[in-house]
Amino acid sequence: MLFKEDEAARAEAMAVRNSAAWYRWTHDLVEVTGPDADRFVDYLYVNNIAKAPVGKSKYTTMLNEEGKIIDDTIVMHMGEQLFWISTLYAPQFLKWAATHCEGFDVECRDITAEWDMVAIQGPQSLDLVNAVLDEPVDDLKRFSIVDRCVGEAPVKVHRAGFTGELGFEFYIPAEHTAAVEEALKAEGEKREMPELQILEVYVRSVPVEKGFALRQDMYGLTPFECDLGWSVCMDKEFVGKAALEKAIEEGPKKKLVGLRFERPSTEDISQTEIVYRKGVPCGIVRTAIYGYTVDDNIGFAVIEAKKAIPGERVTVGMNDSPAVICDKVFV
Amino acid sequence: MALRDRLESQKALQTAWGKLIPEKEAYKYATRQMAAFCANLFQVMRILEPDFEKRTEAICEISYALNMSVSGEEYMNEFYDQWNIPEFCEKSAWLGAIFGDYGDEAENMAGRVIQFTKDRVEKELDTCPWDIVGAELCNMTTAMFTANFDLANGGENDVALNMCEARGCGDRHCRVVAERRSTFGLPKQGFLDHMQQPVMPVHNTPEERMVSEGQILRNGQYSNAFGEEHSFEYDYRWLCEFGWAWCVAFPLVVIRDMAEDEDEFLRIFRIVFSTAGKNLFIEPFAKEGLRSWLGVPHTIGDNDPRLMGGYIMSVLDSQLVPYELDAFTKDEVRINVTADDFNGRFEMAPMDELAIGYEALWHNAVKTLVSAEWSCWFEGIDEEDMTIVVGRKIDKRMI
Repeated sequence: MLFKEDEAARAEAMAVRNSAAWYRWTHDLVEVTGPDADRFVDYLYVNNIAKAPVGKSKYTTMLNEEGKIIDDTIVMHMGEQLFWISTLYAPQFLKWAATHCEGFDVECRDITAEWDMVAIQGPQSLDLVNAVLDEPVDDLKRFSIVDRCVGEAPVKVHRAGFTGELGFEFYIPAEHTAAVEEALKAEGEKREMPELQILEVYVRSVPVEKGFALRQDMYGLTPFECDLGWSVCMDKEFVGKAALEKAIEEGPKKKLVGLRFERPSTEDISQTEIVYRKGVPCGIVRTAIYGYTVDDNIGFAVIEAKKAIPGERVTVGMNDSPAVICDKVFV
Repeated sequence: MALRDRLESQKALQTAWGKLIPEKEAYKYATRQMAAFCANLFQVMRILEPDFEKRTEAICEISYALNMSVSGEEYMNEFYDQWNIPEFCEKSAWLGAIFGDYGDEAENMAGRVIQFTKDRVEKELDTCPWDIVGAELCNMTTAMFTANFDLANGGENDVALNMCEARGCGDRHCRVVAERRSTFGLPKQGFLDHMQQPVMPVHNTPEERMVSEGQILRNGQYSNAFGEEHSFEYDYRWLCEFGWAWCVAFPLVVIRDMAEDEDEFLRIFRIVFSTAGKNLFIEPFAKEGLRSWLGVPHTIGDNDPRLMGGYIMSVLDSQLVPYELDAFTKDEVRINVTADDFNGRFEMAPMDELAIGYEALWHNAVKTLVSAEWSCWFEGIDEEDMTIVVGRKIDKRMI
């Protein structure tokens, strides 16, 4: 829960929107290698991962056999038959991979402990990034990865992020993390680009404003129900494809939508609450947070598809907090 | 939703007379039953140790120590996985907040996480089934949280934890605020220092917008800050296992030590539970209320042991204790139950005191619910297989 009046949170959010900020953003990391690594990631994920050249990454989702999302990840093509999977759920991924690897000559290894990740995000993030790197990354395209150094520390610079702003991620060998963070802190202070401290700002408030959902928001839905149909490649085999074909035929049953709350509230939006239309349950809130750019309580909800109409008025929770269904992208 | 659509998924317990009590009612009843047992136990403590500070510090210490001892590195790692706490989260500080929120909701302490940030967590509760127990228990929960924070930090934590409001102290809300000591310049706290006001102002939910039920009752599931969900059924089971551990088993360890010896402890323990039992149905409308609750037909008269037997069965059912009904007549009721099921609700900490306490409670409750001709006792109370009996007994030294 974040408050409208929370000036510390507001300052952090505004730094990302107007300038730049940085923060530790280490995810679980799984390395997939072996002669069939490309075929394997293509089989696990809905889009054409293997087609991405070395040095590129893709956002994708992983489905169960029922065609429902069980994870969303960035998959990075780090070398020939070498992929990194950035997920929040490595233990679950490894179990899933183990049960689906028959016929693939691959090895999956949890390398989370070996690599830290720091995100530098904001319209002026390039300035801070270049200030600490040995060579600038002005020409680095979105979802691309290059090797650079921060002082003596080797880093992999990935142009990506979870804020909807220009952003970069440094993958750092764990033994060099302190040095890299020290450099970012020093250069950041000179530019008034702070290290973010408030988890909810960079995990929820800032991303939700731009329509960025976490796995938990999409869990159990098909990609089509989350407006991720663009990422699905039906021309190849992948886990859940048969169910997705059926889902396409039948049309979406649910939909992930935006919610804009109309009454200042903290109590109703701080938990997963039921959404009512004309007093009848029609869905459930998946996240709700204060957005400092939109200056409103906003969130995501999963609503019955036929009732997921933009502009439709609903209420949330036992206290009937009024809200309006809207697009997931708020700014 | 129409009943026919839910017949497969909606469960209930059935009373001895066929009335169905929905599982959500049964769950709420179980929380209150456990709180009542805890309240009786804390009366024992107050007799044994008249000084508030001494007894509060003692149960805080033991609660802290037991929480620390039952949780090792493996347990913590499992916890991180179970709750999907991401790598980027400050695990070192806020584990207690995550676990605490879950425990609250699993036990129908309805409320909300107001704030969950690196330097500050604020949790507000609108209800607490345990609000009848007293301030010592409120203090004790802060010691449990302290243990969780220390465990997560691998040593002394950096958290100032204050239960700045508590329903057990008469406040409208319970409110627990954790603030990072190094950020707010706060000193390390002793066990009795956890009821102070926080540095930053609190957020107060107005009365008209408070909730009366936890997430699992409102929404059918619990969802934590990282999106992990637990079903109502999972939480009900958790309540009926771990709920006994924190509020009965842990305090029992130190309350026993407050007595001069075992006999002294058991003497006072039995007296307190007997008194509670005598008062359970002393009001005439309490008996009528029970008849309505259990659906007792008028063919069951006022002097029938089945009234008490049906009541005991509903308590066992709501507390998820398996049993076998051996006799249910106008002359006696016999309910078979194993010691493992009755006393070992939380497997790691079985408590003989559950049987001893309920025997004293029910033996005296039957006097007012049915009549003084009837008694309740546990046959084989020290053995693996026990039988709860409601029958006639004459004892010239009966208490």
